[in-house]
Amino acid sequence: MKTWTLRSFEEKCFGYRLLLFDIGCHSVVLKRIPFTFVQCPNIKLKKPSWFRKPSNMMVFATLLLSYFLVTAGIIYDIIVEPPSVGSTTDEYGHHKPVAFMAWRINGQYIMEGLAASFMFSLGGIGFILLDLTNKPSMPKLNRILMLLCSFIFILIAFFTTKIFIRIKMP
Amino acid sequence: MERSQLQTDVTKQVTTITTSVPSVTTKKSSRTKTFSTSQSSANQLLSPTGLASLISFIVLTCAYISGFMSRLFSVIRFESIIHEFDPWFNYRATHYMVENGFYNFLNWFDERAWYPLGRIVGGTVYPGLMVTSGVIHWLLHMINIPIHIREICVFLAPFFSGLTALATYLLTKELWSKSAGLFAAAFIAVAPGYSSRSVAGSYDNEGIAIFALMFTYFLWIKSVKTGSIFWSCFTAISYFYMVSAWGGYVFIINLIPVHAFMLIVLKRYSLRLYVSYSIFFIIGLILSMQIPFVGFQPVRTSEHMLAAGVFALIQAYGFIDYLYTKLPRANDLKQLFFGLILAVGALVFSVVVILTYTGYIAPWSGRFYSLWDTNYAKIHIPIIASVSEHQPTTWASFFFDLHLLICLFPVGAWFCIKELNDERVFIVLYAVFASYFAGVMIRLMLTLTPCVCVLAAIALSKTLDYYADADSNENDTPAVTSADDGNDTSESEEDANNVEITTRQLYDKAGKQKTSSVTTGNRHHRQQLLTATTGATATDTADDTNIIGSNIKTIVVICIAMMLMLLAVHCTWVTSNAYSSPSIVLASYNQDGSRYIIAYYWLRKNTPDRSRVMSWWDYGYQIAGMGNRTTLVDNNTWNNSHIALVGKAMSSNETEAYKIMRMLDVDYVLVIFGGVIGYSGDDINKFLWMVRIAEGEHPKDIREKDYFTENDEFRVDSAGSPILLNCLMYKLCYYRFGELQSDFRTPPGFDRTRHAEIGNKNFDLEHVEEAYTTEHWIVRIYKVKNLKNRLQAKNALRQVLRRKSIYSQKSSKSTQRKTGVILNKPQIKKGQVKAKSIKT
Repeated sequence: MKTWTLRSFEEKCFGYRLLLFDIGCHSVVLKRIPFTFVQCPNIKLKKPSWFRKPSNMMVFATLLLSYFLVTAGIIYDIIVEPPSVGSTTDEYGHHKPVAFMAWRINGQYIMEGLAASFMFSLGGIGFILLDLTNKPSMPKLNRILMLLCSFIFILIAFFTTKIFIRIKMP
Repeated sequence: MERSQLQTDVTKQVTTITTSVPSVTTKKSSRTKTFSTSQSSANQLLSPTGLASLISFIVLTCAYISGFMSRLFSVIRFESIIHEFDPWFNYRATHYMVENGFYNFLNWFDERAWYPLGRIVGGTVYPGLMVTSGVIHWLLHMINIPIHIREICVFLAPFFSGLTALATYLLTKELWSKSAGLFAAAFIAVAPGYSSRSVAGSYDNEGIAIFALMFTYFLWIKSVKTGSIFWSCFTAISYFYMVSAWGGYVFIINLIPVHAFMLIVLKRYSLRLYVSYSIFFIIGLILSMQIPFVGFQPVRTSEHMLAAGVFALIQAYGFIDYLYTKLPRANDLKQLFFGLILAVGALVFSVVVILTYTGYIAPWSGRFYSLWDTNYAKIHIPIIASVSEHQPTTWASFFFDLHLLICLFPVGAWFCIKELNDERVFIVLYAVFASYFAGVMIRLMLTLTPCVCVLAAIALSKTLDYYADADSNENDTPAVTSADDGNDTSESEEDANNVEITTRQLYDKAGKQKTSSVTTGNRHHRQQLLTATTGATATDTADDTNIIGSNIKTIVVICIAMMLMLLAVHCTWVTSNAYSSPSIVLASYNQDGSRYIIAYYWLRKNTPDRSRVMSWWDYGYQIAGMGNRTTLVDNNTWNNSHIALVGKAMSSNETEAYKIMRMLDVDYVLVIFGGVIGYSGDDINKFLWMVRIAEGEHPKDIREKDYFTENDEFRVDSAGSPILLNCLMYKLCYYRFGELQSDFRTPPGFDRTRHAEIGNKNFDLEHVEEAYTTEHWIVRIYKVKNLKNRLQAKNALRQVLRRKSIYSQKSSKSTQRKTGVILNKPQIKKGQVKAKSIKT
């Protein structure tokens, strides 16, 4: 934690003096005059402790979250305001919930968007796991588990989205 | 499809040669001894670097050709014709330019559009597209290839999408590696998100603009990397081309400053950045102001202020950084300098804000503002919200346009963030912004697609670098151990125990090349090769337990290959089925299909040359281009109130509409009606937008809720609101529709698009008459009647005394009608003759 302290005249305004000095204003008058009637405040400026450069992982997690939301069509949901799950009436007059807005590429229900986007993210995570298995120092069991996980993730994601899109396809 | 087949064949042969290449690169001549097979002769013939570039050349050529070919479905299936709406105007403008010369084109005042206002075409278009095809036309004619300008316009977009593949390759090469670049080129060549806007015949700005976009980004990355004035000048020139081509240049002029800014924030400022940004900004600013349509916008509008602000900031930063290096004991003053920079940033920001408030800088225009405030367009500018491609994107369109790549996209971002450097900051920023914008508007999927392709290529190439490298590992190591002595043996053992990453760095650039060969079929072939080789050396590899077994690697690679194959199939399918129908030719279930084009042809041949045709603005360009008639409004929606007037005419009842039509001198009215064949993009479905737009300008006369039923439904059947059932658009669409029974299962007048029997069947048109209707009633054209003769009011309070007509006098007494009398007609006096005859 670095603090920026201004204590006495000499130390406080050292920077300004130095600047003026070095740029070429050698006159003592210019250096002294302002501080004859202006008193430097005695303040401490601290860098806020919660503020630090976010780690790469944090950045990526944020990105992945926003990616999840965008591909879920969250903006569509905000603008068009579709119901979260649709419903139809069957031939007996019962209301049945419908998860997918079938035959339409340009329309969706909220839940279906989230589900599909979850699958996209799952696929992405699968690929990332696949990459992580290359780490040299890793027990064999972990490696195999991770590999298996990534395989399952990718394949599930891929085929589920394919099924989803088949419902939507006109 | 056939093309990719061929591509496979070519690359197959190449890969057979390459499998043995990596050995040569690192282990020098001692290694070559061990290969006594026919492969070694091939090795001696080809040097690895040459081979690498040969492969990249072939792959790029294949990417180019497949990119070009996959966009030709519409030409093959239909004909070589310009598609849709905007391309018709572009074509008309290009045609004008080719015939009359560039300067006449810049001064062109088109009196046939926006009647009675007219449109200054030269000052309101981005001329890059027309100039590009004009230049190609001129070049071809110079070498005596007499080709019509229409053919150039049709094939320009596929041509440029091939170039986009090359530009993407270059960009990805700068960002990651050559092999990733080859993947990216292959992806962008077929990705449906891009081919949707660049199939043959869609002669639109986007077709060339995406190339300009990617090329500008490539040059920018290059200039940031090198810090050379040369590259940044080229960036500016390429940016100039982009400005001349598409309004989307705003994306560049905002993304590059954001990149520069982020680099400063991340403490990655360098002199290279300073040089490249300053040069790019100054030259780019001056060049962009040369386009008549852009004019002084770059110094006047908020969209460009980010660039100017960052420019000011980077100057200040550069100066302070300079002081920092010159001052003694500068390290003590770190905080002070930091504070200074913050102050300068705040100052620049506040200056921009103040200038905006005082009115020197125009605020964000509606089109761009609606990107930030997503509900803005819906409330304030219905004309923007009405366009279907400005709708927000659903998950299905993401998947439809990008397929597998959408899964790989975050993976690529992950790799880039993990190994961050100056230029990868750029691609991450690009990804973030583009994916947000693509979420807001379907249309901007176009700018997202290249970025997705780049990142997916990076992800895939990184993954395959490891998993497809199996052969180089297991092939090479045992080969060395068996053949060589001393030094090499120890070296190879080291390799075997080594971490995978270092091994990869030691071995071969050419090995990477291999993994990147494009097509999926190719990879299959590789697998066969791979399995063959690994089978032979399986016993040798038993010792490296630490690394994943070759079998698993093989499975991974096969899986990826399968998915890539499915991607290729999907891309081809989407491009051929969804994006290749030129919308003026409706692919109907009948063989012939019904066509707008016939109606436009009718207009061209059967109406007087100067007649004015009123239609909704979607069809303005087509009427002008194909029908060659004057239109009131068209797709260049620059005048909202004029469009609102047309909307008002369409949505008010016939008498009111007739007044407006008289006022606007309308001769013909054209509507698109899909109720007979079930075409959903017709005017009744667009009708609510007409009402909304009209309501925006004439809130007293038109109210949207009048057109709904009490339950807020939009219905055309008898339950629909009476105002809707009597408005002009309804009557024009459904005139005499009640007499038509298209199917025996449905009542007469059954609308197949809305699935309803229409509510108002038997009506007559008072002020217009039907002039022409195409075969499936798709296009209906009506003629506006002239004013009727005035009728005398029967029960008027003041009786006007009229001079009795001398021409026809009707006596109320006699029911029998008298014959007419002609004034000063020589009369025959019958009696005299008779008398004479008696006398004589």
